[in-house]
Amino acid sequence: MMRKILFFMFLLSYVGRPTVLQAQQSSTNELIKTMQSRVRRYPEDYAGYAGLGAAYLQKGRETGDAADFELAKGALEESIDLLSNDPAAAFAMTQMAVVCMAEHRFDGALVWAQKALALGSGDPSPWAIAGDALADMGDYVGAAEAYSKLDSLFGSEDEKLAFSYQRDTRKSFLRFVAGDTQGAIDLMRSAIQKAIQMHMPAENIAWSQYQLGEELFQIGEMAAAEKAYLAALEGYPGYYRGLAGLAKVRAAQGQYKDAVDLFKKAIAAVPYPEYATALGDVYQKIGDTQEAKKQYQLVEFIGHLSQINQQIHNRDLALFYADHDLKLNESLELARKELEVRHDIYTWDVLAWSFYKSGKFQEAADAISHALAQGTKDAQSLFHAGMIYEKTGDSAKAKSYLSQALATNPHFNILYSEVAAERLAALTQKDVIVSQQEAAGVR
Amino acid sequence: MKNFGAVVLSLVLTPAIYAQAHLKSATPAEQKIAWAEAAIKAHPDRSQPYNELAIAYVNRVRETADSSCYHQAETAIQKSLELTPDNLEGQKARVMILLGRSEFTRALDLAKVLNKKTPDDVLLYAFIADAEIELGEYADAETAVQWMLDLRPGNVPALLRGAALRRLYGDREGAMLFFSQAYQQMPPTQAEDLAWTLTQMADLQLSVGHLDDSEGLLRSALQKFPGYYQARESLARLETAQQHYSEAVEVLRQRNQSFPTAASSYALARALERAGHTADANSAYREFEASARRTIDSADNTNEELIFYYLAHGHDAAEALRIARIEISKRHDVGTLDAYAWALYANAHYEEAQKQIASALAVGVRDAVMLYHAGAIAESLKDGPAATQLLKASLELDPSSETAGAAREALQKLTPATAEVRHSK
Repeated sequence: MMRKILFFMFLLSYVGRPTVLQAQQSSTNELIKTMQSRVRRYPEDYAGYAGLGAAYLQKGRETGDAADFELAKGALEESIDLLSNDPAAAFAMTQMAVVCMAEHRFDGALVWAQKALALGSGDPSPWAIAGDALADMGDYVGAAEAYSKLDSLFGSEDEKLAFSYQRDTRKSFLRFVAGDTQGAIDLMRSAIQKAIQMHMPAENIAWSQYQLGEELFQIGEMAAAEKAYLAALEGYPGYYRGLAGLAKVRAAQGQYKDAVDLFKKAIAAVPYPEYATALGDVYQKIGDTQEAKKQYQLVEFIGHLSQINQQIHNRDLALFYADHDLKLNESLELARKELEVRHDIYTWDVLAWSFYKSGKFQEAADAISHALAQGTKDAQSLFHAGMIYEKTGDSAKAKSYLSQALATNPHFNILYSEVAAERLAALTQKDVIVSQQEAAGVR
Repeated sequence: MKNFGAVVLSLVLTPAIYAQAHLKSATPAEQKIAWAEAAIKAHPDRSQPYNELAIAYVNRVRETADSSCYHQAETAIQKSLELTPDNLEGQKARVMILLGRSEFTRALDLAKVLNKKTPDDVLLYAFIADAEIELGEYADAETAVQWMLDLRPGNVPALLRGAALRRLYGDREGAMLFFSQAYQQMPPTQAEDLAWTLTQMADLQLSVGHLDDSEGLLRSALQKFPGYYQARESLARLETAQQHYSEAVEVLRQRNQSFPTAASSYALARALERAGHTADANSAYREFEASARRTIDSADNTNEELIFYYLAHGHDAAEALRIARIEISKRHDVGTLDAYAWALYANAHYEEAQKQIASALAVGVRDAVMLYHAGAIAESLKDGPAATQLLKASLELDPSSETAGAAREALQKLTPATAEVRHSK
């Protein structure tokens, strides 16, 4: 779930500039109605259309419904059609970049962010989107450079703090990618403090706490991760991300009934494929294959629900299929398709796993080397590497990666954590036998 | 006080990895032209794509000096206004074309009319500021720029115009700060904007004799936008300041391979003269004169260069004054005031010359050539102390300026015992 960080970071940051400073008194639906009424009355009002687009984006963030992003796009296109060569158009263009990110059109997001910046409005927000797009495409150096620009020389102290928050959350992600998980955690803690200091909306603070929980989960700090997820839920009751995070912790703690309840609540709020997958895996773990199957069917259903869903859930589906030894050809095809639009570490990882499950071990080894090139301490990727190298005959590497995976987080995956331990034990045992044989002069 | 050396260095050394990864082979304006044409094809009944096309062509002029693009821009605007009469964006694009064609009064009038209708439009204030700066109405320009900054703090168009005004007011460090702040906000894809800003900063550094800093900025500008004509013109000035006259000729020859202007032709003629290529220089001067004379009465002219040409090479002070009077009737920016003052001086109208140069310097501008002119004029009025002060100021500001030699000679005559001014970098 670390892989979803950037998606939600930009959604968080880009409904308005900077949204964090605006009191969100009206519900989003009310806001949409207000803006719709405004553009009906004033069809030449570029700001009205831009506001409507931003409101649809906010709705999309709340519901996870991709259709809202399409509505946002329509409104923003109207705005830009009315005004595009003025600093005032930067807002609509930045929102358009956010829409592109939501639809996984990263090149498009980068272009729109650059167009917004080219207008020179004085608002550094588009640098965040540019950085997010670059990070999602695997250009972490470019992303860092873009994030370093998130510094408002002008505006109020609150605005400067808001940009500092945006920078910290993103740099936290980059540190995680670079293998500095503790550094990532420290930055995220700092970001949370800033969010609280700024009196950001509850959901925004909850998101930051959830991200902290994700990072702590990654290094197996279950107690700390639990605390972070609970803080998110306390501040924003019923927060679906907090529910899913806590569900993962419960599963890791062996509290499967609680995990099931929590995942169900998360899915009821926003039916993400990864939540359905995780719930299915918990059912699988406790032997309820019937319920597991239902959830796995739900995963496919969501993934194929619409053209946009297909686009944004390609990687999730590829991983799901590979993890569960289903439709391996489709898994590989989806992973390859995803690699066409992005070369980030997670896409390489899913591709590697799809290759592995399809029996293409050399290709898998090549792909996993890309996934691990940044030094990321992601237990799942490390586990994949261990399994792949076992098959390519490099047992030293296999053992090393499997050890690292379990050392990073012994509960990284409800189905595969045990597999990692088993394979590591088997490889170690094999080495012991070989050594003994060598010592006895048998070999 | 901020260390601008560090600012300059950081701009020169900042890695452009992100830029290199994403800079396509088409220039920013060419890309915009392509996008606009595609949008027109998709929506031929909408005016906005035509506006964008017009603006893209205006941008293309800035990239290349190819003024024929204004005609294409105008054609696009006409189409836009046919589709949606009086659309604001179309009219704004029209203001841009007028500014590009140096029709400053018309541009200002139209911008003011539009500004009355939409007083929160930042770019209209920018256009007003541009016109006012060119016309010499600096106080009004400052008001417009302040409005821009109040409406949208830190916006790049305001920072750039603010930098221009600060330079005119003699606040070099303040100008560099604004340029730097604007530069930091520009995305790597905006190659020409980046190169233009770096070139402005280079010119500013050159104006005070900081030749190394200027060179670094210009190299960076040419890296961002290879072959950029404005950077080449500045580079030629730098080479001249370094007394690398042959190199200056070479740079200007390269520059003039694409869309030479009368001004760049004049620059080449001067460079040839300094490099000792007298015959080529004379031929280039004649070409320049013929070309520049065709536009004396047009808005888009090279009258300032023509005035100085007649004063220095054409040996026709009366003609220089005649042309200067044409210019001063239209505008009183510091450049025009200086040219007028020098023409008056050459025609022995010393007191009038004094008045004009005083008006120029009263703005606050710190320009070594203007200070030299002021010193020479003061000397002609037998005001030795004032002349000495002004000549020294010129040499202290920029010991490598094009008038530095003349300033030293004049100072020598005035104060033989104390005429020494050291070069400093």
